[in-house]
Amino acid sequence: MSFARLGLWLLRRERANGEWRVLLLALIIGVGSVATTGFLGDRLKRAMSEQGAGFLGADLLVSSPRPITRWPQHTLTTSSAIEFTSMVARGDAFQLATLRAVDAAYPLRGSVRIAARPFEPGMVRPAQPPPGAIYVDASLLPLLNAQVGDRVQIGEMRFRIAGVVAQEPGQLGGVFGLAPRVFLRADEMAATRVLQPGSRVSYLYQFAGEPKPLAAFSAALKPTLDSTQRLVGSREGVETVRGAFANADRYIQLTALISLLLSVAAIAIAAHRHALRHYDQAALLRCMGATTAQLRTLYAVQLLTLGLLGSLLGVAIGAMMQQVLALMVLPDAATRLPALGLAPVGVALVSGLLALAGASLPALMRLIRVSPLRVLRRELPPLPLAAWISIAVSGSALLGLVAWVAGDARLVAVFVGALAGLAGVLFLLARLALLGGQAVQKLSHGPLRFGLAQLLRHRFDSTVQLGAFTLALFLVALLALVRSDLVDSWRAQLPPDAPNYFLVNIAPQQQADVTAFLRQNQLQASALYPMVRGRLVNKNGSPIAATLPPEDRDNPSLRRELNLTWTATLPANNAVLAGQWHGNQRDAVISVESGMAEQLNLAVGDTLGFQIGDQMLTARIGSIRSVKWDSMQPNFFVIFAPGQLDTLPASAIASVHVPANQAGVLPGFVKAFPGITVLALDKVIANIEAVFAQIIGAIQLLLGFLLAAGMAVVVATLLASLDARQQEAVLLRTLGAQRAYLAKSLWSEFIALGLLAGLLASACAEIAMALIAQRLFELPLRLHPWLWLVLPTAGALLVGLSGWLTTRHITRVPPMQSIRALG
Amino acid sequence: MTSSAPAQFPVVAARALSQRVATADGKLVILSDVELAVKAGETLAITGASGSGKSTLLGLLAGLDQPSSGELFLLGQNLNALDEDARARLRAGRIGFVFQSFQLLPALTALENILLPLELAGRADARERASHWLDRVGLTARAGHTPRQLSGGEQQRIALARAFATDPEIVFADEPTGNLDADTGARIIDLLFELNASAHTTLILVTHDDALAARCQRRIHLVAGHVNKAAAA
Repeated sequence: MSFARLGLWLLRRERANGEWRVLLLALIIGVGSVATTGFLGDRLKRAMSEQGAGFLGADLLVSSPRPITRWPQHTLTTSSAIEFTSMVARGDAFQLATLRAVDAAYPLRGSVRIAARPFEPGMVRPAQPPPGAIYVDASLLPLLNAQVGDRVQIGEMRFRIAGVVAQEPGQLGGVFGLAPRVFLRADEMAATRVLQPGSRVSYLYQFAGEPKPLAAFSAALKPTLDSTQRLVGSREGVETVRGAFANADRYIQLTALISLLLSVAAIAIAAHRHALRHYDQAALLRCMGATTAQLRTLYAVQLLTLGLLGSLLGVAIGAMMQQVLALMVLPDAATRLPALGLAPVGVALVSGLLALAGASLPALMRLIRVSPLRVLRRELPPLPLAAWISIAVSGSALLGLVAWVAGDARLVAVFVGALAGLAGVLFLLARLALLGGQAVQKLSHGPLRFGLAQLLRHRFDSTVQLGAFTLALFLVALLALVRSDLVDSWRAQLPPDAPNYFLVNIAPQQQADVTAFLRQNQLQASALYPMVRGRLVNKNGSPIAATLPPEDRDNPSLRRELNLTWTATLPANNAVLAGQWHGNQRDAVISVESGMAEQLNLAVGDTLGFQIGDQMLTARIGSIRSVKWDSMQPNFFVIFAPGQLDTLPASAIASVHVPANQAGVLPGFVKAFPGITVLALDKVIANIEAVFAQIIGAIQLLLGFLLAAGMAVVVATLLASLDARQQEAVLLRTLGAQRAYLAKSLWSEFIALGLLAGLLASACAEIAMALIAQRLFELPLRLHPWLWLVLPTAGALLVGLSGWLTTRHITRVPPMQSIRALG
Repeated sequence: MTSSAPAQFPVVAARALSQRVATADGKLVILSDVELAVKAGETLAITGASGSGKSTLLGLLAGLDQPSSGELFLLGQNLNALDEDARARLRAGRIGFVFQSFQLLPALTALENILLPLELAGRADARERASHWLDRVGLTARAGHTPRQLSGGEQQRIALARAFATDPEIVFADEPTGNLDADTGARIIDLLFELNASAHTTLILVTHDDALAARCQRRIHLVAGHVNKAAAA
């Protein structure tokens, strides 16, 4: 029989062994979490970028003032549209509208909803209207005094209004200064004869497809575009959602990483115990003539078999879990989600085998180098030098693995560094805590005293166990905290009465009436911000582009007109970072948003020149200001001091919260103020909330894995001490201790261990949370008093229960039988 | 002494064999200048008090350890020239062991424990031989039982069957009755010598049991690492 077959034979015979089970369990948990995050991350990322794509209408959008005829080769789905402004007329009434001539494929991503009446949710339909028809924005109807079904004139063509656009992709992109939208058929555009040479037109080219061809296409396309042409990816679609993506990505990576590391810890402990229990076997086999190479084959085959089995089961569980989650969180999206990729399977399998090899190699090295003399004299070989090398090798393999899984070197560096430091700190803390336990032990009596004495007598074991329990609890707590803080901070930013409509284009003479209307209907609205559009052209007298390195010149703030406002009051959600808020100062002073200041290299004291219509206006930067872009309030890059822009033609903008039961006032508003555009933000908020729901669901599932991995560590450490415990229990029972006494002393030992671990974990979690909140997620700092109650309780329960389940049989076995089993 | 067989070459030979280990108090001499030659088919008892170096000598003779100095031959091979793996290959199938603590693999059944060295040696008739040897030690009824379900005497009988199953040239036994009561021990000794006689195996055993030592053809007595010539029979 070959040693490979012998290995399998022995493995089958030993499959009931505790350490094999723990090893397999830990492996399944570790691989399961990696696979789940892999599958889920892959699908979620795609689902999320689909959300982003929904905003954009495509995975990739190219806009150009001229038609683009030459494209790099690609296999993507495409759609093209032409956007231009034109008058729409009905009888005497006419209105400037933004027309979009679309083909049948538009939009490639997201959806267009068409309603029969204004402010109704409508149905998902192709954006391309039937021949001879158009779809219009609700705000256009009162302006033209028209209803759905009426006919309107565009250029030389007459069209029937076939429906109202209730939702369309790209709604966020052009919130400001938007003329009402009209969809018409691309093949009917020429007949209107609206477009003449020199007309201002945007050619919009949409692309959708798999990430790889998209990236290749995007890379090939970029160099061919000039400064008037723009390329937008779906991930860049919306600022607010982008932040959520980044956090979600990080969070999911972090969780997988920790589950994997905990599993590795459990595997390492189990592998160590396995080796300890198999020195005799290895020595015996060597006596019978097995060489080191043959033993290596034997144990490698066993490990590989377990590794493959555990990894495959883990992958299967991962595939199942992510499907369950997808169905739970994204019921309508689950069917649309991309099929399971093969890449995550590979990642999970390799992770499992690497983790197993890395964690068990040192133990295995000792095992195959055992001296055959051990059969005569029970002595352990010292850890050979090669094992230290193998620890280093497997350590770096694991590190590489973690970096590979997480895919973010900085995150991994921060995390692994923190973890290594933490292990050291935990070891010291555990030692200190045990010293504290000594004081308690002196005051106690009976089984409690005995249980605590157990903890203290096996000080090294207890330190390792305490360290491991603490780590598991701490990490779970940390993730729960990050999760709740992440969600809370988002919810805090978005109160239930967050604005859900923007009122755009409020003429100066209407402002008082609008304010009165809103007050009359008890609607909460932001201040009305006057708004003029202007282009930033120079800085301190020189053209602004010339002051920037070439790669920074393609900046959206330079490319398009900015919305400029003036106010004496610093808007809510804004904070001055440098300089002084201008207040009621009547000089030519402005306040600039910090991101824009950073990108354009602007500082307090710089003078900026703006082109507004045919006028040039210069102003000194008085302050740099942070803006919460996801606050759903009107936000501005540049705010002037009052008095500078008063003479310019300005319309105002405001945001307002309209409760669902009051949506009925909107048609009245539109009728009363026909020139004002009402933009619904509800859909945007719902989208962002959907993204968060996905993230939260994913995280809850992953926390389950993490807890399981923590339990595996608990059980593995306890199994490692089981032989010694059994010996002591037998001795005690032989000396007359009753079962209840043994049980009580075990419980007191584990509960004390769990309580201590919980307290240590609370302290660690608070400190780490403070660091992470500030460094990684940029969230405000806060303390969590409830943690100090929950963690010790959870620790006592968790450790107590798993301790009891793992060791309970040692109180049940009659002493004689135990003695024989130990023989 | 049955030296009637013509000019037998010694299967085990030691010349000036010494074993020293480094301790905190300097070098500790465990064995010193042991001279020994064991011919094929011979039975030899190594006796001595605890700590006299019996087990160390057995380990060295079986090639489980390297001597500090001196020459050692096992089955015609100079062990000094072989590394641990080469010594292991030399042992495979040709050397059998019986231990004080039985050393059966707890996960394997009685039959499988006997099967193990046969499988390792690649015997085609491994299963038949294992069953045969299980029968020889009278435990056919216990074939499917694991060591935990067997008594000490039964475990040692399985160990004897395992040691002889591969038809080894030498069987080394380390205190084979050390963990057994007197009655059981006596029956194990009977079985050991019966198996040995029928298989014509060389038997080298370590014991401090005089009754057991007396059944061997030859005996060397160790005192503090030296062979006590006076006691050698």
